[in-house]
Amino acid sequence: MEEGSRREEPQKEEEIWSWGAGTDGQLGTGKLKDELLPQLLHLPSLAASAAGSISMLACGGAHVVALTSGGRVLTWGRGTSGQLGHGEMVNCLYPKAVNSLEDHVITHVSAGWSHSGFVSDGGCLFTCGDGSFGQLGHGDYSAYSTPAKVSYFVNNHVEQMACGMRHSLVLLKGSLGSQVYGFGSGKRGQLGISVEKIKSANLPRVTAGFEDIQITTITANGDHSASLSVDGKLYTWGRGFSGSPDINVPSCTLPSLSFSQVALGWNHALLLTDDGEVFMLGGNRHGVLSNTEKLMNTAPNHLPGTESSSFTSELFILSTSLFLCPLTSFIFLVLITVDGEVMTWGWGEHGQLGLGSTSDETDPCLVRNEKEVVAISRVYCGSGFTYAVKAVD
Amino acid sequence: MEWNEELQSFTYPCPCGDLFQITKEDLRIGEEIARCPSCSLYITVIYNPEDFDEDKSKGKKQGNIIQQPQQQIPVA
Repeated sequence: MEEGSRREEPQKEEEIWSWGAGTDGQLGTGKLKDELLPQLLHLPSLAASAAGSISMLACGGAHVVALTSGGRVLTWGRGTSGQLGHGEMVNCLYPKAVNSLEDHVITHVSAGWSHSGFVSDGGCLFTCGDGSFGQLGHGDYSAYSTPAKVSYFVNNHVEQMACGMRHSLVLLKGSLGSQVYGFGSGKRGQLGISVEKIKSANLPRVTAGFEDIQITTITANGDHSASLSVDGKLYTWGRGFSGSPDINVPSCTLPSLSFSQVALGWNHALLLTDDGEVFMLGGNRHGVLSNTEKLMNTAPNHLPGTESSSFTSELFILSTSLFLCPLTSFIFLVLITVDGEVMTWGWGEHGQLGLGSTSDETDPCLVRNEKEVVAISRVYCGSGFTYAVKAVD
Repeated sequence: MEWNEELQSFTYPCPCGDLFQITKEDLRIGEEIARCPSCSLYITVIYNPEDFDEDKSKGKKQGNIIQQPQQQIPVA
């Protein structure tokens, strides 16, 4: 603080845009309807919370978890399973603070089909929402409408949580090196805990095979799980892509390549290599690739229409793992190019492509809002809806 | 698929955020399609006709998600 000056840390303003499926209030517009074009949100509760800008969003089946730079959490959208953490089982149309977490500084949030996870700076993990598959990790199959601490990790430092449709992954940091745990539905091998399939786990179980590998990121969606190691190796487990067999324990995928990001959908995965190339696993239907005859089962494919775009590694550092946004729906995709342009393609029935119609697109299209290109830094996808964040100086 | 008491149907998440649904009555008459009320996607249901009469919590699986041929809806 300079003497004589009351100037506080200048806060970057942000624009938050949303579009797609909206009948549960997940778009934060206050209206219960789908939006075919990006809507600029006016969220007074975010500004009023005076907790800073949005550091990340997590979008689930029909709800959103927002983390502010001040470590506060706001949730909105579908809440009928308790996934909003407000202590009730109702939907919420506007961002509402999760009061029971106000004594904690939250550093990471995640959202599955109907559950949510919150990680504090002290390494505690809290979960709430549907628990009928054990995906909350509390040792029961109950729903929780308020975030409850996962006591299994009381002596560990949790760093990240990733939520699939009905399963959860946790990444720990500690002197023993990183470790990954899984709980929830395991029917497709997505917990990665045993060569034999485990139907479900309601307490965290160690995901196999990472004893000597340092994992930096975990991600989950649908019945898929994936992680990246510090040296860029990609591991996948869970439901197989394109009809391949399920994988019950983590398997190094495309071992000759080095990856910086992975984003999972319900039926596919988008992979970004260190060289800025984009590959896809699965997703061989519904126009996600223009030329489906070229597809082989799990062979990765360059995405047509992206060869001429440049995806620099600098952009990815800025937008973290959500440059390739976590693709809850298997059938629409969102990319950000180096110029901050958003490109979408795939299934468009709910307007989730943000192109102003409900048509499907087989090739990447530029998202515009009334002729103005929305220059975006981060994109987040839920089931059939999309959020984009634009930093405005 | 899981039994949803409120909807009195077996349900499974749809990528659009809603649920594929099929009632016991549908299954009883041999219906194999669980539809989403919000969009044109549907899934085929694989089940053992004898199972669902006794215990509603078992025997339900689902096949691949299928989209019906879509009509383009131009927006002015």
